[in-house]
Amino acid sequence: MSDLNVMTPAEIAATKAAVMDQVPGPEIQGQSPLHHADLESLAKQGPKTGGVHLREHKLLGHLTLRCNPENADQLAAVERVLGVALPLQPLTSAENGDYSIRWMSPDEWLILVPGLEAFDIESKFRDEMGGHYSLVNSSGGSTVLELSGTDVVELLKKCIPIDLHSKHFPVGKVVSTVFSKSTAIVRRTGEQRFELIIRRSFADYIWLWLQDASREFGLVIEA
Amino acid sequence: MTQQNRLQSGGRIDRSKPLTFTYNGKQFSGFQGDTLASAMLANGIDVVGRSFKYSRPRGIVACGAEEPNAVLQLGATEATQVPNVRATQQELFNGLVSASTNGWPSVDNDVMGLMGKVGGSMMPPGFYYKTFMFPQSLWDTYESMIRKAAGLGRSPLESDPDTYDNVNQHCDVMIVGAGPAGLAAALTAARGGARVIIADEQNEFGGSLLNTKETLDGKPAAEWVNAVVAELATFEDVMMLPRSTVNGYHDHNFVTIHERCTDHLADIAPVNQARQKLHRVRAKWVVLATGAHERPLVFSNNDVPGCMVSNAVSTYINRYGVVPGNELVLMTTNDYGYQAALDWDDAGRKVVAIVDTRASGCGARAEEARKRGLNIITGSAVIEVQGSKRVSGVSVAAISADGGKVIGSVTKLKTDTVASSGGWSPVIHLSSHTGSRPTWDDKIVGFVPGPTVQKQLTAGGINGQYDTAVALKQGFDAGQKALTETGLSAAEVVLPKAETLKSDTPMTLFHIPHIKPTSAAPKQFVDYQTDVTAAGIEVACREGYESIEHVKRYTAMGFGTDQGKLGNINGMAVAAKALNKTIPETGTTIFRPNYTPISFGAIAGRNCGSLFDPERYSAMHKWHVEHGAKFEDVGQWKRPWYFPQGNETMQESLDRECLAVRDSVGILDASTLGKIDVQGKDAREFLGRVYSNAWAKLAVGKCRYGLMCGEDGMVFDDGVSACLGDNHFVMTTTTGGAARVLEWLEIYHQTEWPELEVYFNTVTDHWSTLTISGPNSRKLLSELTDYDLSNDNFKFMDWKQMKVAGVPARVFRISFTGELSFEINVQANYGTHVWEKLFEAGKKYNLTPYGTETMHILRAEKGFIIAGQDTDGSVHPYDLGMGWCVSNQKPFSYIGKRGMNREDCVRPNRKQLVGLKTKDPKAVIPEGAQAVLDPKAPIPMPMEGHVTSSYWSANLGHSIAMGFIKGGLDKMGETVFYPLADGTVIEAEICSPIFLDPKGERQNV
Repeated sequence: MSDLNVMTPAEIAATKAAVMDQVPGPEIQGQSPLHHADLESLAKQGPKTGGVHLREHKLLGHLTLRCNPENADQLAAVERVLGVALPLQPLTSAENGDYSIRWMSPDEWLILVPGLEAFDIESKFRDEMGGHYSLVNSSGGSTVLELSGTDVVELLKKCIPIDLHSKHFPVGKVVSTVFSKSTAIVRRTGEQRFELIIRRSFADYIWLWLQDASREFGLVIEA
Repeated sequence: MTQQNRLQSGGRIDRSKPLTFTYNGKQFSGFQGDTLASAMLANGIDVVGRSFKYSRPRGIVACGAEEPNAVLQLGATEATQVPNVRATQQELFNGLVSASTNGWPSVDNDVMGLMGKVGGSMMPPGFYYKTFMFPQSLWDTYESMIRKAAGLGRSPLESDPDTYDNVNQHCDVMIVGAGPAGLAAALTAARGGARVIIADEQNEFGGSLLNTKETLDGKPAAEWVNAVVAELATFEDVMMLPRSTVNGYHDHNFVTIHERCTDHLADIAPVNQARQKLHRVRAKWVVLATGAHERPLVFSNNDVPGCMVSNAVSTYINRYGVVPGNELVLMTTNDYGYQAALDWDDAGRKVVAIVDTRASGCGARAEEARKRGLNIITGSAVIEVQGSKRVSGVSVAAISADGGKVIGSVTKLKTDTVASSGGWSPVIHLSSHTGSRPTWDDKIVGFVPGPTVQKQLTAGGINGQYDTAVALKQGFDAGQKALTETGLSAAEVVLPKAETLKSDTPMTLFHIPHIKPTSAAPKQFVDYQTDVTAAGIEVACREGYESIEHVKRYTAMGFGTDQGKLGNINGMAVAAKALNKTIPETGTTIFRPNYTPISFGAIAGRNCGSLFDPERYSAMHKWHVEHGAKFEDVGQWKRPWYFPQGNETMQESLDRECLAVRDSVGILDASTLGKIDVQGKDAREFLGRVYSNAWAKLAVGKCRYGLMCGEDGMVFDDGVSACLGDNHFVMTTTTGGAARVLEWLEIYHQTEWPELEVYFNTVTDHWSTLTISGPNSRKLLSELTDYDLSNDNFKFMDWKQMKVAGVPARVFRISFTGELSFEINVQANYGTHVWEKLFEAGKKYNLTPYGTETMHILRAEKGFIIAGQDTDGSVHPYDLGMGWCVSNQKPFSYIGKRGMNREDCVRPNRKQLVGLKTKDPKAVIPEGAQAVLDPKAPIPMPMEGHVTSSYWSANLGHSIAMGFIKGGLDKMGETVFYPLADGTVIEAEICSPIFLDPKGERQNV
């Protein structure tokens, strides 16, 4: 039912939205927004110790869900699809294995799933969820950076204006904020570990910024 | 060189660590712990600069941020030049290179010294206003003369090799100043569990306690300071920032701190370290414990080197082990002032006289001086100083009880140093930054912070409380208050016991009388840095300037890099006396950020060089770079502009790219176009309301071009939207308009039509858009897909889902060139793969990459507009000849409908977009050229319109242009003229803007 061109009018009417498996077969390798930086080689050749560690989690499935947090049927559908409830508390996140959900705004969540499962999850949503909502695959538009290490908070203080003290920014908290002159979705995944979701077109700028800002601490690339 | 003024022992310097430094090309020595100023004084350097207006020799007068004279140029190399460094705040390091900034050819022996006397009369008060206003054209000349004469330092001619950081900080309590009050507040807040930042501009904490011989709990005060600092260091949530000036206090307790991380180490920062940081602090509570500056008195020739504020004398002796002279005359209006004489006496040098302006002094310090048998002259004042490059003596005379006039005969005393104390001025600068007006306090003879809306507390000297015991208590109270206000519980702190010295009543006196009237007396300086004298202020008042703000601007008082920290209050007092008002009636000028000058580097942080502004790249950017693209900035995007080959000129590249598209096939990276995913049952209705044309009947699988107008009916964006599903559209916007359009949709949805069920999401970065265009584009695409691309199956303005080069794609058959075109959209992770496969298959079709410039030419050949180039916010769809893109049949309405039907929008003779064909086919009219009907008409010629797009068309073999002409749509075939700046005139015929394939057959094949 994915190919709109061969869908019957009844099928089109049932979905009302076009869903497409956007990932080709395994013979074609995708290129993340930081492909040109060749992080694999940097991980092999670069320093092994430093105050900041960076790892890219690339080619994941990024799905933006917008729905009504007061619609119990929609909330139940999310749980059926992902096995975990939508975080309704502002600035929080929830996880179930490889699936993770970030609260983005009162009616918006960002869901990360393994890259090859994106179409599957999208289709399940279309099957399970009714009412007014939107689900958008934005996997090609962003990438995930994991920053960790003893100096990660000091590094991020040079990048984002948010208070990162663990009293105010505990593990699991997520914010969407300015990152120097770009933006990032920032989630704390450990006492000294953060996840950054950054936009493709700004990825090189943020990569340059991170390299520069971490110079005083030492940057270790992991792959 | 020997340090003739250095004491054998004492002070906080390390005599085991000698340092050498250079001042004006000569080498001197000092010690670790010195400031540049203390080391200069130790070496007996008297003259540190020449004054701004009169070119008088000037020496060091103070010991901190308030220093007006010792403002030096630093830097061992051209690249590390730093102007306007206060020697009193610059720590000495080995190899420091400094130079005076004013005085040419040298401060000691200069040409300007003679000219200065001339210059002085050339520059009366109000000089700027009287002299420089007319003629305006001469300002450049005046400015360079002033700059050279005044020598306010210079910026480096080479790039700064250092890096600077901006750092964001957050805390419960931000404490400004680490003197007794600040330290007590910090200790209290820290023990109560608060997140604390405490910053102090000095290299070590302790504030005034570093400069005195005071004891706390019977031990040297420094011991208590050390204990507090050590305890604060144990708290994880306490950040201590020495060498950090809190430079700005902004709304909502946003505080900026300028930290000088490595300025005390070397000329250039160590590898990988920032030279300076700008901390951007958001604090719940701010405690101002900024202390006070001592006020000098205003008397004749009070600027001769050797004249200092009395507290500075004490500080140089106690903290740095430097006695800045051999003989001292001290003039004071209060008991604190006596301390300098006591310290001088302790240092074993001669106190010539203590001149107390009061009939008698009976405070503890005065009594001590009397006990020691020092020569105290009461009821008198130093009315004049002798000497030019160093004080040689003073004239002392009895003055009236109100300080208004000299009543006794003049006695001359020989001395080389004059210290003066007119009391203290609380450092209220930061509290003024947020708009709080200071209040005058008669008891302390000074301004204190006024009422504020900020969550601000004050403690110690800033409140006019100069007793250490009171400062400690106020600091403690501020800490406790901050704790309770932030929801924390009170802390246990036992304050150390401070000595309380018996004080007495100070005299309110600022301006010392002379036997001659002020206007005739030798100059009595109020503001050293801008050379403002008491006489100058009196002139300003006589000339009718009654507001202190006007007096300030007229005289330039407080205009220097020191913001008049020493002189402002004295100046206000002189103005008040001249105006026959009280100081509170006269009022005060207030201060604004920054408290002390801050380097541009610290403000910029890392936002410079390649990090100055983000560069946005599409997924194929690397390919473009590797294939020699020249780039054009479109918003923050780097878009390929054209792809030159070999030694091609730009025009040759464009001609080749244009011909390739029309003859065979070209490819454009259109990924930067904004893309917005629109879902919901009311998506279609919403589109109908934000676009001027109709969307109700657009079937699934179809695309349509839309025009977006503002409420005023003027076009602001355009693009093609496709119907993906009945409830699902994808809208494209211009590259530069993407963010604005998404915001526009959200604003209208959230504020005007929340009842419509629709959601918007940006997918700009998610899709790569590869546009192949040209007669061979179908053949090319068919090599990479099994899908039936025939005109019957895949019509113009359809979109289809298919695999292209193995990658799932949405292909839109739309065209911006007028050729058969396919826009291939694939997930951006696969953009480069498909792009490269197209080139592999496209070799035989001469597949040619083209950039934005060729795109502009090709669309202009077809008369397609570019929003933002052919529109400027003043044209509606009808002006563009695009009435076909407006639907007045919609049941609701649409944004811009009323606007474009206003009287002015429907009047005849509006400027309308037309094509322009030059009479000389080779002449390309410059974009922006103005149209006239008669090129011989007298200037100013009536103007009929202007050119918006103009190119050489290789396909047509002649130039093409689009532009606005008044009533142009009714003037087809008429002639207009474009007179150019070089005197030539281009003649053109008004025509249809569609120059090529007017029936649109090429895109329909």
